[in-house]
Amino acid sequence: MMIKVEKLKKTFGENEVLKDINLDVEKQEVVVVIGPSGSGKSTLLRCINQLETITSGHVFIEGTDISDKNANINKIREDVGMVFQQFNLFPHMTVRDNIMLAPTKVKKVSKDKAKAKAMDLLGKVGLAEKADAYPDSLSGGQKQRIAIARALAMEPKMMLFDEPTSALDPEMVGEVLDVMKQLAEDGMTMVVVTHEMGFAREVGDRVVFMDGGYIVEENEPKQLFEHPQEERTKAFLSKVL
Amino acid sequence: MGVNPLDIIREYLPFLASGTLFTIGFSLGGIIFGTILGLFICFGKMIRNKLLRAPFVCYITFFRGTPLYVQILIIHFGLVPLIFHQSNGIVAGVIALSLNEAAYIAEVFRAGIQSIDEGQTEAARSLGMDRLQAMRYVILPQAVRRVLPPMGNEFISLIKDSSLIAAIAAPELTYWAQAMGAQYAIVWTPYLTISFIYLILTLTMSFLVNRLERRMATK
Ligand SMILES: Nc1ncnc2c1ncn2[C@@H]1O[C@H](COP(=O)(O)OP(=O)(O)O)[C@@H](O)[C@H]1O
Ligand SMILES: [Mg+2]
Repeated sequence: MMIKVEKLKKTFGENEVLKDINLDVEKQEVVVVIGPSGSGKSTLLRCINQLETITSGHVFIEGTDISDKNANINKIREDVGMVFQQFNLFPHMTVRDNIMLAPTKVKKVSKDKAKAKAMDLLGKVGLAEKADAYPDSLSGGQKQRIAIARALAMEPKMMLFDEPTSALDPEMVGEVLDVMKQLAEDGMTMVVVTHEMGFAREVGDRVVFMDGGYIVEENEPKQLFEHPQEERTKAFLSKVL
Repeated sequence: MGVNPLDIIREYLPFLASGTLFTIGFSLGGIIFGTILGLFICFGKMIRNKLLRAPFVCYITFFRGTPLYVQILIIHFGLVPLIFHQSNGIVAGVIALSLNEAAYIAEVFRAGIQSIDEGQTEAARSLGMDRLQAMRYVILPQAVRRVLPPMGNEFISLIKDSSLIAAIAAPELTYWAQAMGAQYAIVWTPYLTISFIYLILTLTMSFLVNRLERRMATK
């Protein structure tokens, strides 16, 4: 089991955002999380790598309870890549330096090795010629592909995607989804929050529908999209499909 | 009277020259010590624990909330004699300007750091960096660029404010202008002369900051 979420609750002040979340993600599984805005999807992802401290319950990454005080969260995060809606590239560094930074500083990989790895990854996301460019000169789709390459440079065992295509112009969505699809085919374990139902159907092993801080329903994509069991799922799907 | 102003300036030239050097020295001292101390205080003020943070908050509140002139008097007549068992205008001047500058620099830096998008820290942390690494490699390099213009303004203020330490007989520009004015009972000549010198210093500072800014922007 790569990720195990158990009775997870998260409150912001009075506002209980995650109410009782239980979720298992197997090795090489692609879990797609869908649901209306404000249902707690981002918060769930952020709890999984402790960008938010969890209020109660447990999150296990490869069996390690990450809310345990003795857990080395920095070490665990090396294995859990994250891709953000807003890319969050480092604007003061070239694309190559963005990708090399964490491997050299955190994993102490040599500059040469990190550079070779960066160029390899840039090739994979189809942006080798942008190595010396600064993020500001790139399109949204290019930025997000770089952000994926940056996360992959740490050789994570699993990846979290928080609406990776929501900030993109429609014509750029495809190029990012293609990279993610390739990643899934290469066997990466992935949790993907997205509104791209086509991607969910095609790439997802399982689709999780969240609403109001709960996981309302989860199933194989085909089952969930064609035979939703819960009223709330039906209502949501009728709006987005 | 009938003394030629140019003759007076010529007579005082060596003093004005050394006064200028002292003013530059006081300013540089205040800038260097103030920036180092200011960074330290800035980080102190960002500590999460309220109790540990309190002394830094008090420091900033005091030095920004009371007149620099009063601080100079306290340090010259109180603090320096207490520590060194004698008063010394030069030492007191450097200390007062540095301590005061540090409070302002701390706030400038804090604003700069907090103006960097939270997503930058999150991206860095999600890659496995600890808080210190995220600060050092991701946040600070961006913050430094952003605080350069307000830092420049602080440095310019400091050059001007250094004139206040004439009050404790530190031999800088304003001190010599006062001496000149007193000796010959004149006003315009000494004060316009040093105004001109101050202008050169502040304009030079703003030129240097501008250049640095441009160089960092193109990098
Ligand atoms: N840092 C925060 N502080 C307070 N409330 C938050 C914070 N982050 C999210 N929330 C609240 O939690 C709820 C769920 O947010 P989020 O997880 O972003 O939903 P989703 O990603 O599904 O749109 C929202 O009501 C939002 O206002
Ligand atoms: Mg969200």
